[in-house]
Amino acid sequence: MSSFLRPAFLLALLAAPLLALAAPPEAATEHVQARLVASHATVAPGQRFTVALEQNIKSHWHTYWLNPGDSGQATSIAWTGTEAGPIQWPTPSVQAIGPLVNYGYEGRPALLVELTVPADAKPGGRFQPGAEVRWLVCKDVCIPEQVTLGLDLPVAAEAKPGPDAAQIEEWRGAIPKPAPFAVQVKAAPRGVQLSGPTAGVSKAYFFAETWGAVAHSAPQALKAEAGGWTLDIPAGDEPVPAGKPLAGVITLMTPAGPQAWTISVAMPAGAGKGPGPADLNAPVAEAAPPAAPQSDLGLLSALAMALAGGLILNLMPCVFPVLSIKALALVREGNHKAEGLAYTAGVLASFAVLAGVLIALRTGGQQVGWGFQFHSPVFVLMVAYLLFLVGLSLSGLFAIGGSFTGVGSALAARQGLAGSFFTGVLAAVVATPCTAPFMGAALAYALSQPAAVMLAVFLALGLGLALPFLILAFWPAAQRWLPRPGAWMDRFKQALAFPMYAAVVWLLWVLAQQTGPDGVALALCGLVLIAFGLWWRHSSGASAVGTGVALASVVLALGLSVWIKPVAADVRSAGDASTEAYSATRLAELRAQNKPVFVNMTASWCISCLVNERVALSRPEVKAAFAQAGVAYLKGDWTREDPAITAVLKAHGRSGVPLYLYYAPGAAAAEVLPQILTPGLVIEAVSPPTAPRSST
Amino acid sequence: MTLLRRSLLAALIVPALAHAAANVDAPAPAFTATTADGKTVSLADYKGKTVVLEWTNHDCPYVKKHYGSGNMQSQQKAAASQGVVWLQVISSAPGQQGHVDGATAQKLNTDRGAVPTATLLDPKGEIGKAYGAQTTPHMYVIRPDGTLAYKGGIDSLATADKNDIGKAEPYVTQALVAVSSGRKVDKASTRPYGCSIKYAS
Repeated sequence: MSSFLRPAFLLALLAAPLLALAAPPEAATEHVQARLVASHATVAPGQRFTVALEQNIKSHWHTYWLNPGDSGQATSIAWTGTEAGPIQWPTPSVQAIGPLVNYGYEGRPALLVELTVPADAKPGGRFQPGAEVRWLVCKDVCIPEQVTLGLDLPVAAEAKPGPDAAQIEEWRGAIPKPAPFAVQVKAAPRGVQLSGPTAGVSKAYFFAETWGAVAHSAPQALKAEAGGWTLDIPAGDEPVPAGKPLAGVITLMTPAGPQAWTISVAMPAGAGKGPGPADLNAPVAEAAPPAAPQSDLGLLSALAMALAGGLILNLMPCVFPVLSIKALALVREGNHKAEGLAYTAGVLASFAVLAGVLIALRTGGQQVGWGFQFHSPVFVLMVAYLLFLVGLSLSGLFAIGGSFTGVGSALAARQGLAGSFFTGVLAAVVATPCTAPFMGAALAYALSQPAAVMLAVFLALGLGLALPFLILAFWPAAQRWLPRPGAWMDRFKQALAFPMYAAVVWLLWVLAQQTGPDGVALALCGLVLIAFGLWWRHSSGASAVGTGVALASVVLALGLSVWIKPVAADVRSAGDASTEAYSATRLAELRAQNKPVFVNMTASWCISCLVNERVALSRPEVKAAFAQAGVAYLKGDWTREDPAITAVLKAHGRSGVPLYLYYAPGAAAAEVLPQILTPGLVIEAVSPPTAPRSST
Repeated sequence: MTLLRRSLLAALIVPALAHAAANVDAPAPAFTATTADGKTVSLADYKGKTVVLEWTNHDCPYVKKHYGSGNMQSQQKAAASQGVVWLQVISSAPGQQGHVDGATAQKLNTDRGAVPTATLLDPKGEIGKAYGAQTTPHMYVIRPDGTLAYKGGIDSLATADKNDIGKAEPYVTQALVAVSSGRKVDKASTRPYGCSIKYAS
């Protein structure tokens, strides 16, 4: 009897606290308030339901993900009185602690767990699971904390959802799901390369589930291409053996917003060795996964910036010659208001067409950027012909639409309007390679927006370009600033031909980069043909035959473009042995070696780029500063379309060149330099005070 | 004069450190450092002896776990009795948790009954970064021939709970046994655990 009673009595004693005193569902430590939230208010025997552990973390402190990264410790829950599934973790974020990288959470993460009510639980009784929860919470220092939480739910034959069911579902939305697309993996020199089909990815980061599978602190190089993305992931201290699963969460910043997916791929054979032990000399991973996109301008500020950018375009060397023609027109008598409107219409129509082409290309999945049309040598040739024709016209060889000669008659007025419209088109066409400082951000914003917004930004840009002339046309007071008409006008007009010829020289130089000597020879032949045809017409007194010859010669010149072929990409050393061609791999390599790197994204059709190179980057004092600080100089040539460079521009919130980046040794991110450089500015950027991180 | 020599030495050594890496079975990165009692020591000085490196930060709860329980001290004593050199390294930057001057470092060890051979002051984090040290504690064992035998955690249970020490696999002790008997270390690279080292950022 007593031998039977004693164990039963002891058991009852042990069970009593469990039955009577469930731990509270909430508890707070110094840095975290934690609570358990159940999906159900009443549970049924054998039922599975979801419980969340919500951590309300003191601001600037963080707790850890499943793989905490270089240091730290994942939150753990030891359950009693229930069968519990594994923790389902929301998407973590990167927490950089000096040169170390941790994976975890700030704010209010909710970890989900599936609990199972014992099958033999009695309806009418209570289900009281207990949870011993431990976490490490860190800011610059780390505190291990521990709380005991519990639930106390009535058991009934029928389960009933609780008031927090919706909240649980919302939290469940933050848990990454298996990727709905296939992720490919292949061996890479320093680890593995993942790739997927998502288009327009501007940022990506892979969180490996196990410690050491990837080098947590090493940057992961993203390449966004037309067909999707690739991400180079340096291996860590404990790489996954070949054939075993490499599992984790991939986060992607897409045009539609941030995405996070769980993936598991079989580790390929021959994966490269990573940077070894925590690569503390390497720059910290430049990954802010689901954060706001970089070009996060609002629509209004993008419109304002586009307008300002358009205004500034008027002063750019490529637009100025065209503009001077227009200024010339204003000093004559005539219907200035109508001309101003026609000019504005021409500019706006051109920008609308441009936006339309961009939208169409983007819809087709192409990676496009501003100035893309100059990637085409045929387009460059056409603009060269066009400017040459304008130049010849200014020189007096022929008259475009009578806009410079016949004044007063109704016909000439109409032709004048057509001329104004045409000038507007011309201004817009030649303006494109000049990305004014404010325009970069606005255009990058536009390119990532729906078609209507994109169109609005482009039209604002066009309006900016047209605005000075529009004001002159509508505001007679301003016209008084212009000189009086007279015989000098003819000489002035002829003088203006020379900026046009200079622009042709520049375009031929661009063409030389794109097509080599053969292309230049063809283009020059075309120019000679055009000049010959127009001279024939001129000397024959503009006879019908002469006009025919002129037209035929222009058509023939245009026909030459059939033979224009882009030559293969080459490394343009720009006469400087210390310049290297840009590649993402080379950049990562140099940064891993803790070398300061200056990146210059340029194109030969980009005048501002060339001006910057001339007045700042190729100055002896700048070169000396580079040499002294041991700065590696990488130059990316966007003269021809290059998706790798387009991706870099995008990643820095730009859609066009120039883009100047300076990576200080060990710096987490690049410093973006302004689009107009001075030697002092560059020297200051690369000089030591900002350089060695360990000395600060 | 000594100061000049020391800074010259440092200037020579720092670039050498920058590209070294602590890989198992490869030569351990060389270093020269000032100790808590003001001496200058180099790894090369201990050629022919087994060397243990212990990254530490006295305020880190994971360090407290092993000193509060006496585990670290007893490992240091056992090492000393076998002629093993035990070097504590403090890589916390000035103003960060765990940064101390030489006198404080010595007093801390006296108070805790810790008996390392020396305590290296590495406020610029140069040795720490050369070894890729991430956590406190983070442990390295270097063979008498200067190659790295072990790197990683002090044991297998990554918690701040003293009660777990007895249940954990003592990686460093195992590595020292293997090195002294000339065997290969079974688990030569493990996950270090603890607080992040408070490097200057």
